[in-house]
Formats: sequence, C-alpha cells, structure tokens
Amino acid sequence: MSDQQENSLKIILVGNPNVGKSVLFNMLTGAYTTVSNYPGTSVEVSRGSCTINQCDCEVLDTPGMYSMMPITEEERVARRILLVEQPHAVIHVIDARNIERMLPMTIQLIEARLPVILVVNILDEAERLGMKFDLERLEQNLGIPVIGAVMKRKIGLEELKQKISGFSPKPHASFCYADDLEKDIDDVAAQLKGQYRLSQRAVAILLLQKDEDIQQLVTEQEGPRCLMALTGLVHEISFKRRADLHLQISLERRKICQQMLVDVVTEQAQDRELFGEKLSRWMVNPWSGVPILLIVVYLALYKFVGGFGAGTLVDLIEGHLFETYINPPVIELARRYLTANWLYELIAGEYGLWTLGIRYAVALVLPIVGSFFLVFSLLEDSGYFPRLALLVDRVFKKIGLSGRAVIPMVLGFGCDTMATLVTRTLESKRERIIATLLLALAIPCSAQFGVILGLLSISPLALAVWVVVLLGIFLVVGMLSGRLMPGEPPVFYMEIPPLRPPQLRNVLIKTLTRMQSYFVEILPLFLFASVILWAGKMTGGLDRLIGLLSPVVRAIGLPEQATTAFVFGFFRRDFGAAGLYDLQTSGYLTIAQLTVAAVTLTLFVPCVAQFLVMAKERGVKVAFQILVFVTLLSFAVGWVLNKILMISGLLA
Amino acid sequence: MICGFCHKEIPDEKVGNRNGEESCGRCLGGCRKIHCPWCGYANPAPGRLLSRLLSKKKDEIE
Repeated sequence: MSDQQENSLKIILVGNPNVGKSVLFNMLTGAYTTVSNYPGTSVEVSRGSCTINQCDCEVLDTPGMYSMMPITEEERVARRILLVEQPHAVIHVIDARNIERMLPMTIQLIEARLPVILVVNILDEAERLGMKFDLERLEQNLGIPVIGAVMKRKIGLEELKQKISGFSPKPHASFCYADDLEKDIDDVAAQLKGQYRLSQRAVAILLLQKDEDIQQLVTEQEGPRCLMALTGLVHEISFKRRADLHLQISLERRKICQQMLVDVVTEQAQDRELFGEKLSRWMVNPWSGVPILLIVVYLALYKFVGGFGAGTLVDLIEGHLFETYINPPVIELARRYLTANWLYELIAGEYGLWTLGIRYAVALVLPIVGSFFLVFSLLEDSGYFPRLALLVDRVFKKIGLSGRAVIPMVLGFGCDTMATLVTRTLESKRERIIATLLLALAIPCSAQFGVILGLLSISPLALAVWVVVLLGIFLVVGMLSGRLMPGEPPVFYMEIPPLRPPQLRNVLIKTLTRMQSYFVEILPLFLFASVILWAGKMTGGLDRLIGLLSPVVRAIGLPEQATTAFVFGFFRRDFGAAGLYDLQTSGYLTIAQLTVAAVTLTLFVPCVAQFLVMAKERGVKVAFQILVFVTLLSFAVGWVLNKILMISGLLA
Repeated sequence: MICGFCHKEIPDEKVGNRNGEESCGRCLGGCRKIHCPWCGYANPAPGRLLSRLLSKKKDEIE
C-alpha cells in the first residue's frame, strides 16, 4: 500500500442494489478507479481515489446489500469490508421512493457505531410521485448527517463533499426495541470482552441471529472462559426465542423507522398511487382478498386459460390447422410410403409419433400452457404473489405450513417437479415433507390444469365440483399431516414489494422463456412415451396393462377406454390430461364421468420426473410412501365422488 | 435481474453463473432457472436463442 493511500481518508459506499451507489462512485472518483475481486471471492469491489477539499480520499464501492445480516456472497463481502476497514465515513445511499424499506439498514449501521452519512437519492422521482421530505428532521431523528440528492444530475454532490470533509462522528442516537428483547441483547453484549469494529450491541444482535461470520469473529476475539459463557447464553436465548427472533427484530426496526418517518415524509394524495396502495391492502385482507382471488381465478384461469387457451386456441390449432390441413396429407404420405404396418403404426398409428406425440405436444398442450404462462407472468410481474402469500398464511399455518410455502405452491401450478425442488427453501423438515406431499397430491401442473380447465369449462358446475374436491383434499390432508407430524408452527415474514402495472416486455420474455423451456422438455418425453405405448400395442403388453388397470377404472365409474389416460399419466400428468381431452371429444365420457376422471387424474401419481426429484430431495423411503398414499387416495376419492354423483344425480 | 417474487435484485454473478450451480438437471442443455438467493423463487432464464434475439433487438435500439 502506498503512503498516499495510507494517509488518505477512506470512504465506503453501501446500500441496496440500484440506488445510485455506482453513479455516486463515478461522480466522486472520475476515471481513477480499479475493479478487482475481493480476496478469496469472485465478488468485484471497485476502488477509486479523489480529492475533497485538499484531502486525499480512497473510495470503495461495495456490492449491493439489503441488511447487515448477509445472505448472499455479495452481501457477505460488503459486510466484511465494514468489519475490516477503518472508514472515515460510510455513505449509505438509499432510494427516496423506498425510504421506509431501506431505512432499517441505516438503523443497523448506526447501531453498529459506524460513521454513517445518509444520502437520500432519487429525490426528483420521489417528489414526482407526490412525496415530500423534511430531511432536517430526519437528520435530528437519526443523529447523523442526511443529504438529499439526485446523483445522476449531481444535485447534492457538493453538499456531500462538504459533509465528508468536515465529518466527525457525533455520539450515536440509540434506538430501543421491546423491553424483553433489549434485556436479551444487553445480556449478550455484556459478555463480549473482545475488540470489534462494530459496536457490542450490533455484534450481540448478529450473534443472536446466528450469523456465522460473527460467530467466527467472536470465537477469535473472546477468551475460552468468556466464550463458553457467551455460547451458553446465546444458545439459551436463541432456543427460547427460536420461533420469532428474526421476526421480532425486523418488526422492531420497522416500527422505529415508521415512527421516525411520521413527520419526515408526507405524501400528497395521487389517485393512481392511492388506488395502488388500496388495492394492495385489499389483496392481503381476508374479507376482500378472497373475492379478489376468486375474480383472478375466474378471469385469468377459467375464462382466459380454460376458455380462450383450451377452447379457442386448441380449436384453431388442433381442430382446424392439424385436422384439416396438416394431418390428412401427413397420414396419406405415411399410408402411401410406409408399407410395413409396424412402421406406419410408429409414425401415424393410434399411438404414433406424429398422431400422438407431436399432436399432443404442439396442438393440444402448448397453446394451453402458453396462455397459462402468459397469465402467470402477468400476475408475477404485478407483485400479486407475495400478497397471496400473506393472504393464505393463516390458512397455511393450520396445515403446518407458512405463507413462504406459497412459493413452491404457486410454482407447482407451473411445474410440480421444479416446485418440489424449491421446497428446500422452507425452514423445517416438517414443512418440506408436507409441501412435497401436497404438491404430489393436489396441485396440478400448468398443462394438466389448463387441459382440465378447458375440459370442464363446458359445465361450470363440474368445474366447481373439481375445485371443491381438490381444495377439500388439500386442506384435509394438509391438516392431518400438520397434526401427525410434530413440530413448531412456522413463522412467515417477508417484505412486500410495491404493486405495479405489469411491464409488457417482462411479461413477454418470461412467457416465451417458459414456453421454450417447456416445449424443449416435453417434446422428447411425449415422443418417448409414444414409442413405449406403440411398443406396448405391438407386443400386446399395453392391452395386458389396460386389462389389469381397467377393473380399478371401472370401479370409479369410468369406461374402459379411460384406462389409457391413466397409463399416459404415469409418463406425465399433462400427457394423461391430454388423453382425457381426446376421450371427451370422442364422446366416451358423460359430464359426471369427466368430473370423476378429472379429479382422480389430478390427484393421481406424480409424473416420473417429479417422483425422481421427490426421492432426491426427501429420500427414497418418503418418496415411495407419498407415491403409494397418493395412488390409493386418488382412486378412493374417485370412487366416493362417483357414488355421490350417482346417488345425488348431480351433473346427471 | 429482478426476482419475480420478492422483486429484489439477483446479483449478476448468480445470473451469469447458473450452470455452475446445483441444478435439478431437468432442463435439457443446462439449467434455465435462476433461484433468488433471498426468497428461493425459481425465475426463468431466457435460453440461448431468446437471449440472442433480445440482445439483437437491444443493439438495434441503441
């Protein structure tokens, strides 16, 4: 290190991603920058130098971080810089539009007794949204220098330079949490005897939150006797507060920020903003959230996916394009040139590569899945899903899950296999097993969901029966699992991002990406399944399998032909649903039979890929237990439903 | 890249390096899902063809 660097003042820029940190860094340093990986990591840190009021300064631009409790490698590096370096000033850059979400990190930095200067950036856009700031009051409340800025227009840059050059940190303001939490933090902090860059209070909080880097640091800093007493105390408090420690700390900080901002930020009523906020509130309130959910399901899924995707689009592509223009010449060509019967059957027979594999993938499933993905991407981009997570959190708690489980459940409506993989993000083993079971049982994947919506849209009552039965099974099995498997009730806490109008470009990219992934994945599988079915037909094995399964299928009131759909379902759920579509359009099923078949097939075994991921994630034993349970339950429910429909005459 | 669920920024390293991460192995030709490090949501990552089209479009605009 050069003498100049040693004598220069160190300035560290921190903050969330996309708040203008790098713009500020470039404004301060100009061309004098170097970018290098932080030692031992692949995370880049930019360093530059500048002169402020004749003082040489070294400026570090850290990777984006959301809090002092790191989750990603980038956050870990940013936090490590704060732990290691001795800064003259830590400039925390926040986005004025999201001041309430970002201020908790300022509180953490102040708690850590770092020399913080707060830059409230992007003020112009916040003011355009009707927000007005009293930054002097915020400065008094926080006890640190606060500068309003629009860095891309250099507004606030000179003021910041002045503050940096004349900066001498004052005693920090202290922010009090609830009494019981304060006592625990004080008890841990009192045990800390070593030397730390952060305050003992900040170290104590991070220790209680089981921050591994801080645990390591404390192990290095404390003597063996102190360490033992400290570890015992932290374990005791962590165990006592295992259910809600993170939540309580986050809520306490949020409360402090909300109180602090009461006189600092005033928002002018703007119709659009007000409506967005109101809508957001309605979405998470059970009284208004459930009707909104029903409207979303009706318009987006029933009318658009079921009506337009599975009706209009499939009619156009399968009924018109394939049946009229594509299939006749292809079949005629096959009849003319493929003289060997086995070859003709392989290409254009009942289970042929063309007549079954390609037709199902391109003409039946893809239009339905495409319309489903469009709706899914629209809802995703609008920010509806986190609100849905909050809405269902209370119900999910009854079945041993938390609102966090909405992520795999929502993803399950896209693809159950990928959703099963995502269950690993749930906190406890109990939650992961319950979520895996419910995904295998009662969450139909996008294609299966779309085809079944399309099939049942001819009778709203049949669709209602399907929804009620599936929802009932989901809740009953979930509640029983929650009761049978011991464990703590999970706690769910997440920051809700702002609701926003979906952006067309995002929606199109996501839809096309999902369609491409889906098509690339299903086409080979559909072709493979066609070949297996063709081989089964040619060798007579398929007939024997159908003969074996048909008594079960007949027992739930379905014709023997429906057995093929269940055989298809072994390969993929959507393949089975497409088989059902063929049966219905050929007139083999009454409305009641169609409803029983749709319910049974939805509950029926997970597809091969989902089973493999279940075995990988939860173990072979659990995966087999789920498979047997799901298979037995699906036919049992089908049998009971058939009896009820027959006796009651409903859907007759 | 912004996560579709929690709307937090997914670090570029995660986006660019997805082939090196643990994947379920279902996507032919490599993983096409980017898991958000904060909430675990699986975000779709455009395949090679779509990425090429998107970057071409961007170049034309610029």
